[in-house]
Amino acid sequence: MSILLSLFLKLSAFSLVAFGGVSALLPDLLDLAVYQERWIDLQTFSDYFAIAQAAPGPNFMTVTLLGWHLYGVIGAFLATFAIAWPSSILIFYLQRLLLGIKDPLKKQAIQYAAAALAIGLVLSSAWEIALQINHGVAAYVLTIFTILFTTFTRWHPLYLIVLGAIIGSMGLI
Amino acid sequence: MSGFGGVLPWARRTLVEKDKILTSEEFSAILGICQIVPGPNIMNLAVCVGSRFAGARGAFAAVLGLSIGPILLVLLLAVLYDHYSYLDSVKGILRGISAVGVGLIASTGLKMMRDEFQYPAMLLVVVITIVAASYFHLGLGWVVLIASPFALFLAWIKAHKV
Repeated sequence: MSILLSLFLKLSAFSLVAFGGVSALLPDLLDLAVYQERWIDLQTFSDYFAIAQAAPGPNFMTVTLLGWHLYGVIGAFLATFAIAWPSSILIFYLQRLLLGIKDPLKKQAIQYAAAALAIGLVLSSAWEIALQINHGVAAYVLTIFTILFTTFTRWHPLYLIVLGAIIGSMGLI
Repeated sequence: MSGFGGVLPWARRTLVEKDKILTSEEFSAILGICQIVPGPNIMNLAVCVGSRFAGARGAFAAVLGLSIGPILLVLLLAVLYDHYSYLDSVKGILRGISAVGVGLIASTGLKMMRDEFQYPAMLLVVVITIVAASYFHLGLGWVVLIASPFALFLAWIKAHKV
Protein backbone atom coordinates (compact mmCIF):
# COMPACT_ATOMS: atom_id res chain seq x y z
CA MET A 1 0.00 0.00 0.00
CA SER A 2 2.81 2.41 0.81
CA ILE A 3 4.25 1.76 -2.65
CA LEU A 4 0.95 2.80 -4.19
CA LEU A 5 0.82 5.96 -2.12
CA SER A 6 4.39 6.90 -2.89
CA LEU A 7 3.85 6.20 -6.61
CA PHE A 8 0.74 8.34 -6.58
CA LEU A 9 2.30 11.30 -4.78
CA LYS A 10 5.51 11.37 -6.81
CA LEU A 11 3.80 11.05 -10.18
CA SER A 12 1.29 13.72 -9.19
CA ALA A 13 4.14 16.11 -8.47
CA PHE A 14 5.73 15.32 -11.85
CA SER A 15 2.50 16.17 -13.59
CA LEU A 16 2.77 19.84 -12.71
CA VAL A 17 6.31 20.36 -13.98
CA ALA A 18 6.17 18.25 -17.13
CA PHE A 19 6.39 21.01 -19.71
CA GLY A 20 6.70 19.29 -23.04
CA GLY A 21 4.55 16.39 -21.94
CA VAL A 22 5.51 12.99 -20.66
CA SER A 23 8.54 12.68 -22.98
CA ALA A 24 10.15 15.48 -21.02
CA LEU A 25 9.85 13.79 -17.67
CA LEU A 26 11.15 10.36 -18.71
CA PRO A 27 14.66 10.94 -17.27
CA ASP A 28 13.21 11.98 -13.92
CA LEU A 29 10.87 9.01 -14.02
CA LEU A 30 13.78 6.69 -14.77
CA ASP A 31 15.89 8.19 -12.01
CA LEU A 32 13.06 7.84 -9.50
CA ALA A 33 11.96 4.34 -10.46
CA VAL A 34 15.34 2.74 -11.17
CA TYR A 35 17.89 4.47 -8.93
CA GLN A 36 16.04 6.08 -6.02
CA GLU A 37 13.14 3.78 -5.23
CA ARG A 38 14.49 0.68 -7.00
CA TRP A 39 11.01 -0.19 -8.13
CA ILE A 40 12.25 -1.62 -11.40
CA ASP A 41 15.56 -2.44 -13.08
CA LEU A 42 16.98 -0.44 -15.96
CA GLN A 43 16.39 -3.19 -18.51
CA THR A 44 12.71 -3.52 -17.66
CA PHE A 45 12.29 0.25 -17.75
CA SER A 46 13.87 0.36 -21.22
CA ASP A 47 11.62 -2.46 -22.37
CA TYR A 48 8.53 -0.67 -21.05
CA PHE A 49 9.65 2.47 -22.83
CA ALA A 50 9.88 0.45 -26.06
CA ILE A 51 6.45 -1.13 -25.56
CA ALA A 52 4.94 2.30 -24.87
CA GLN A 53 6.50 3.64 -28.07
CA ALA A 54 5.26 0.75 -30.15
CA ALA A 55 1.70 0.71 -28.80
CA PRO A 56 -0.84 3.00 -30.40
CA GLY A 57 -2.22 5.71 -28.16
CA PRO A 58 -0.93 8.54 -26.01
CA ASN A 59 2.71 8.53 -25.03
CA PHE A 60 2.28 8.39 -21.27
CA MET A 61 2.14 4.60 -21.40
CA THR A 62 5.61 4.16 -19.85
CA VAL A 63 4.00 5.53 -16.69
CA THR A 64 1.08 3.12 -17.02
CA LEU A 65 3.45 0.17 -17.40
CA LEU A 66 5.48 1.23 -14.38
CA GLY A 67 2.27 1.18 -12.35
CA TRP A 68 1.45 -2.26 -13.77
CA HIS A 69 4.88 -3.53 -12.74
CA LEU A 70 4.35 -2.38 -9.16
CA TYR A 71 0.73 -3.22 -8.51
CA GLY A 72 -0.96 -4.89 -11.46
CA VAL A 73 -4.05 -3.40 -13.03
CA ILE A 74 -4.75 -1.15 -10.04
CA GLY A 75 -1.22 0.19 -10.19
CA ALA A 76 -1.52 0.84 -13.92
CA PHE A 77 -4.69 2.89 -13.58
CA LEU A 78 -3.47 4.66 -10.46
CA ALA A 79 -0.19 5.68 -12.11
CA THR A 80 -2.00 6.98 -15.19
CA PHE A 81 -4.46 8.88 -13.03
CA ALA A 82 -1.63 10.35 -10.94
CA ILE A 83 0.26 11.69 -13.94
CA ALA A 84 -2.86 13.27 -15.40
CA TRP A 85 -5.04 14.70 -12.64
CA PRO A 86 -3.01 17.71 -11.45
CA SER A 87 -2.35 19.03 -14.93
CA SER A 88 -5.92 18.27 -16.00
CA ILE A 89 -7.33 20.35 -13.15
CA LEU A 90 -4.80 23.08 -13.86
CA ILE A 91 -5.79 23.35 -17.51
CA PHE A 92 -9.48 23.07 -16.70
CA TYR A 93 -9.27 26.34 -14.82
CA LEU A 94 -6.51 27.96 -16.87
CA GLN A 95 -8.06 27.52 -20.30
CA ARG A 96 -10.70 30.19 -19.82
CA LEU A 97 -8.13 32.51 -18.35
CA LEU A 98 -5.69 31.96 -21.21
CA LEU A 99 -8.26 32.05 -24.00
CA GLY A 100 -9.61 35.21 -22.42
CA ILE A 101 -6.32 37.14 -22.49
CA LYS A 102 -7.12 40.07 -24.73
CA ASP A 103 -3.59 41.38 -25.14
CA PRO A 104 -2.17 39.33 -28.04
CA LEU A 105 1.39 40.20 -27.03
CA LYS A 106 0.92 38.75 -23.57
CA LYS A 107 -0.62 35.63 -25.06
CA GLN A 108 2.23 35.28 -27.54
CA ALA A 109 4.83 35.79 -24.83
CA ILE A 110 3.37 33.05 -22.65
CA GLN A 111 3.26 30.71 -25.61
CA TYR A 112 6.85 31.46 -26.65
CA ALA A 113 8.11 30.97 -23.10
CA ALA A 114 6.37 27.62 -22.69
CA ALA A 115 7.56 26.44 -26.09
CA ALA A 116 11.19 27.25 -25.32
CA LEU A 117 10.99 25.43 -21.99
CA ALA A 118 9.38 22.43 -23.65
CA ILE A 119 12.04 22.27 -26.37
CA GLY A 120 14.87 22.32 -23.85
CA LEU A 121 13.24 19.69 -21.67
CA VAL A 122 12.37 17.38 -24.55
CA LEU A 123 15.86 17.57 -26.06
CA SER A 124 17.67 16.97 -22.80
CA SER A 125 15.25 14.16 -22.08
CA ALA A 126 16.14 12.47 -25.37
CA TRP A 127 19.82 12.90 -24.60
CA GLU A 128 19.63 11.46 -21.09
CA ILE A 129 17.36 8.58 -22.06
CA ALA A 130 19.72 7.72 -24.91
CA LEU A 131 22.65 7.57 -22.49
CA GLN A 132 20.71 5.21 -20.23
CA ILE A 133 19.10 2.82 -22.65
CA ASN A 134 21.26 2.79 -25.76
CA HIS A 135 23.97 0.19 -25.41
CA GLY A 136 26.63 0.17 -28.06
CA VAL A 137 27.31 1.98 -31.29
CA ALA A 138 24.58 0.29 -33.31
CA ALA A 139 21.83 1.67 -31.05
CA TYR A 140 23.16 5.22 -31.41
CA VAL A 141 23.42 4.81 -35.16
CA LEU A 142 19.76 3.76 -35.24
CA THR A 143 18.77 6.73 -33.05
CA ILE A 144 20.63 9.20 -35.26
CA PHE A 145 19.21 7.57 -38.37
CA THR A 146 15.72 8.03 -36.90
CA ILE A 147 16.36 11.71 -36.21
CA LEU A 148 17.63 12.28 -39.75
CA PHE A 149 14.75 10.43 -41.32
CA THR A 150 12.03 12.17 -39.35
CA THR A 151 13.68 15.55 -39.96
CA PHE A 152 14.25 15.24 -43.69
CA THR A 153 11.47 12.95 -44.86
CA ARG A 154 7.77 12.69 -44.12
CA TRP A 155 7.89 9.02 -43.20
CA HIS A 156 5.32 7.91 -40.69
CA PRO A 157 7.09 7.10 -37.38
CA LEU A 158 5.47 3.66 -37.41
CA TYR A 159 7.72 2.59 -40.31
CA LEU A 160 10.78 3.51 -38.28
CA ILE A 161 9.48 1.60 -35.26
CA VAL A 162 8.95 -1.46 -37.45
CA LEU A 163 12.42 -0.99 -38.92
CA GLY A 164 13.88 -0.78 -35.40
CA ALA A 165 12.05 -3.96 -34.44
CA ILE A 166 13.37 -5.82 -37.49
CA ILE A 167 16.95 -4.68 -36.99
CA GLY A 168 16.66 -5.53 -33.29
CA SER A 169 15.23 -8.99 -33.93
CA MET A 170 18.26 -9.83 -36.04
CA GLY A 171 20.37 -9.23 -32.96
CA LEU A 172 22.17 -6.23 -34.41
CA ILE A 173 21.45 -3.78 -31.56
CA MET B 1 4.09 12.27 -30.42
CA SER B 2 2.16 9.17 -29.59
CA GLY B 3 3.06 5.55 -30.32
CA PHE B 4 1.76 5.64 -33.84
CA GLY B 5 2.69 9.28 -34.03
CA GLY B 6 -0.94 9.89 -34.40
CA VAL B 7 -3.35 10.91 -31.67
CA LEU B 8 -3.16 14.62 -32.44
CA PRO B 9 -3.67 14.47 -36.22
CA TRP B 10 -6.45 12.00 -35.59
CA ALA B 11 -8.08 14.33 -33.05
CA ARG B 12 -7.90 17.18 -35.53
CA ARG B 13 -9.44 15.09 -38.30
CA THR B 14 -12.31 13.92 -36.14
CA LEU B 15 -13.11 17.16 -34.34
CA VAL B 16 -12.52 19.66 -37.12
CA GLU B 17 -12.99 17.90 -40.44
CA LYS B 18 -15.49 15.14 -39.79
CA ASP B 19 -17.73 16.16 -36.92
CA LYS B 20 -17.16 19.92 -37.32
CA ILE B 21 -17.31 20.37 -33.55
CA LEU B 22 -14.55 22.96 -33.65
CA THR B 23 -13.25 25.30 -36.32
CA SER B 24 -9.64 24.93 -37.36
CA GLU B 25 -8.72 28.17 -35.54
CA GLU B 26 -10.42 27.05 -32.35
CA PHE B 27 -8.57 23.76 -32.50
CA SER B 28 -5.21 25.51 -32.95
CA ALA B 29 -5.93 27.94 -30.11
CA ILE B 30 -6.85 25.11 -27.77
CA LEU B 31 -3.84 23.07 -28.83
CA GLY B 32 -1.60 26.07 -28.19
CA ILE B 33 -2.90 26.31 -24.65
CA CYS B 34 -2.47 22.60 -24.04
CA GLN B 35 1.16 22.86 -24.98
CA ILE B 36 1.69 25.72 -22.54
CA VAL B 37 0.45 23.79 -19.58
CA PRO B 38 2.56 20.92 -18.21
CA GLY B 39 1.31 17.33 -18.18
CA PRO B 40 0.31 14.85 -20.87
CA ASN B 41 -0.58 17.04 -23.88
CA ILE B 42 -3.27 14.80 -25.21
CA MET B 43 -4.99 14.57 -21.83
CA ASN B 44 -4.95 18.35 -21.62
CA LEU B 45 -6.52 18.52 -25.05
CA ALA B 46 -9.22 16.11 -23.94
CA VAL B 47 -9.94 18.25 -20.87
CA CYS B 48 -10.23 21.42 -22.97
CA VAL B 49 -12.45 19.95 -25.65
CA GLY B 50 -14.57 17.93 -23.24
CA SER B 51 -15.16 20.80 -20.82
CA ARG B 52 -16.17 23.10 -23.66
CA PHE B 53 -19.22 20.97 -24.32
CA ALA B 54 -20.19 19.51 -20.98
CA GLY B 55 -18.15 21.21 -18.27
CA ALA B 56 -16.27 19.09 -15.78
CA ARG B 57 -18.26 15.99 -16.68
CA GLY B 58 -17.40 16.42 -20.34
CA ALA B 59 -13.74 16.78 -19.48
CA PHE B 60 -13.87 13.64 -17.40
CA ALA B 61 -15.66 11.68 -20.11
CA ALA B 62 -13.18 12.83 -22.76
CA VAL B 63 -10.19 11.83 -20.66
CA LEU B 64 -11.65 8.42 -19.89
CA GLY B 65 -12.69 7.83 -23.48
CA LEU B 66 -9.27 8.68 -24.72
CA SER B 67 -7.26 6.64 -22.26
CA ILE B 68 -9.16 3.45 -21.39
CA GLY B 69 -8.66 1.70 -24.73
CA PRO B 70 -4.93 2.37 -25.05
CA ILE B 71 -4.36 1.46 -21.40
CA LEU B 72 -6.07 -1.92 -21.82
CA LEU B 73 -4.10 -2.56 -25.00
CA VAL B 74 -0.78 -1.70 -23.43
CA LEU B 75 -1.60 -3.94 -20.46
CA LEU B 76 -2.22 -6.77 -22.88
CA LEU B 77 1.24 -6.13 -24.32
CA ALA B 78 2.62 -6.11 -20.77
CA VAL B 79 1.17 -9.57 -20.14
CA LEU B 80 2.75 -10.83 -23.37
CA TYR B 81 6.01 -9.22 -22.29
CA ASP B 82 5.92 -11.05 -18.96
CA HIS B 83 5.60 -14.35 -20.83
CA TYR B 84 8.06 -13.83 -23.65
CA SER B 85 10.66 -11.34 -22.45
CA TYR B 86 13.17 -14.14 -21.89
CA LEU B 87 13.43 -14.72 -25.66
CA ASP B 88 16.50 -13.19 -27.26
CA SER B 89 14.53 -12.06 -30.28
CA VAL B 90 12.02 -10.20 -28.08
CA LYS B 91 14.87 -8.52 -26.20
CA GLY B 92 16.42 -7.50 -29.51
CA ILE B 93 13.15 -6.15 -30.90
CA LEU B 94 12.61 -4.02 -27.79
CA ARG B 95 16.18 -2.69 -27.93
CA GLY B 96 15.66 -1.73 -31.56
CA ILE B 97 12.35 -0.01 -30.84
CA SER B 98 13.70 1.92 -27.88
CA ALA B 99 16.63 3.23 -29.94
CA VAL B 100 14.11 4.47 -32.52
CA GLY B 101 11.86 5.84 -29.74
CA VAL B 102 14.65 8.01 -28.36
CA GLY B 103 15.26 9.35 -31.85
CA LEU B 104 11.57 10.18 -32.23
CA ILE B 105 11.59 12.18 -29.01
CA ALA B 106 14.71 14.06 -30.11
CA SER B 107 13.21 14.91 -33.47
CA THR B 108 10.03 16.21 -31.83
CA GLY B 109 12.23 18.63 -29.92
CA LEU B 110 14.24 19.54 -33.01
CA LYS B 111 11.13 20.19 -35.09
CA MET B 112 9.78 22.52 -32.41
CA MET B 113 13.15 24.28 -32.37
CA ARG B 114 12.86 25.33 -36.02
CA ASP B 115 10.41 28.05 -35.01
CA GLU B 116 12.90 29.50 -32.56
CA PHE B 117 15.32 30.68 -35.22
CA GLN B 118 13.17 33.71 -35.99
CA TYR B 119 14.37 35.07 -32.66
CA PRO B 120 17.60 33.18 -31.86
CA ALA B 121 18.02 34.73 -28.39
CA MET B 122 15.23 32.38 -27.34
CA LEU B 123 17.64 29.51 -27.93
CA LEU B 124 19.42 30.70 -24.78
CA VAL B 125 16.45 29.37 -22.79
CA VAL B 126 16.78 26.04 -24.55
CA VAL B 127 20.51 25.95 -23.70
CA ILE B 128 19.91 26.89 -20.05
CA THR B 129 17.30 24.16 -19.76
CA ILE B 130 19.52 21.52 -21.30
CA VAL B 131 22.54 22.48 -19.17
CA ALA B 132 20.49 22.50 -15.96
CA ALA B 133 18.87 19.16 -16.75
CA SER B 134 21.64 17.21 -18.45
CA TYR B 135 24.84 18.70 -17.04
CA PHE B 136 23.85 19.57 -13.50
CA HIS B 137 21.26 16.77 -13.37
CA LEU B 138 18.72 18.95 -11.61
CA GLY B 139 15.21 17.59 -11.20
CA LEU B 140 12.48 18.71 -13.55
CA GLY B 141 10.93 21.07 -10.99
CA TRP B 142 14.20 22.93 -10.41
CA VAL B 143 14.94 23.18 -14.11
CA VAL B 144 11.54 24.74 -14.75
CA LEU B 145 11.98 27.10 -11.80
CA ILE B 146 15.40 28.29 -12.98
CA ALA B 147 14.65 28.55 -16.67
CA SER B 148 11.17 30.08 -16.60
CA PRO B 149 12.19 33.65 -15.59
CA PHE B 150 14.60 33.75 -18.56
CA ALA B 151 11.95 32.19 -20.75
CA LEU B 152 9.28 34.74 -19.81
CA PHE B 153 11.67 37.69 -20.11
CA LEU B 154 12.95 36.72 -23.56
CA ALA B 155 9.48 35.69 -24.71
CA TRP B 156 8.18 39.13 -23.76
CA ILE B 157 10.85 40.78 -25.92
CA LYS B 158 10.26 38.30 -28.74
CA ALA B 159 6.51 38.96 -28.70
CA HIS B 160 7.19 42.66 -29.19
CA LYS B 161 9.69 42.11 -31.98
CA VAL B 162 8.30 39.36 -34.16
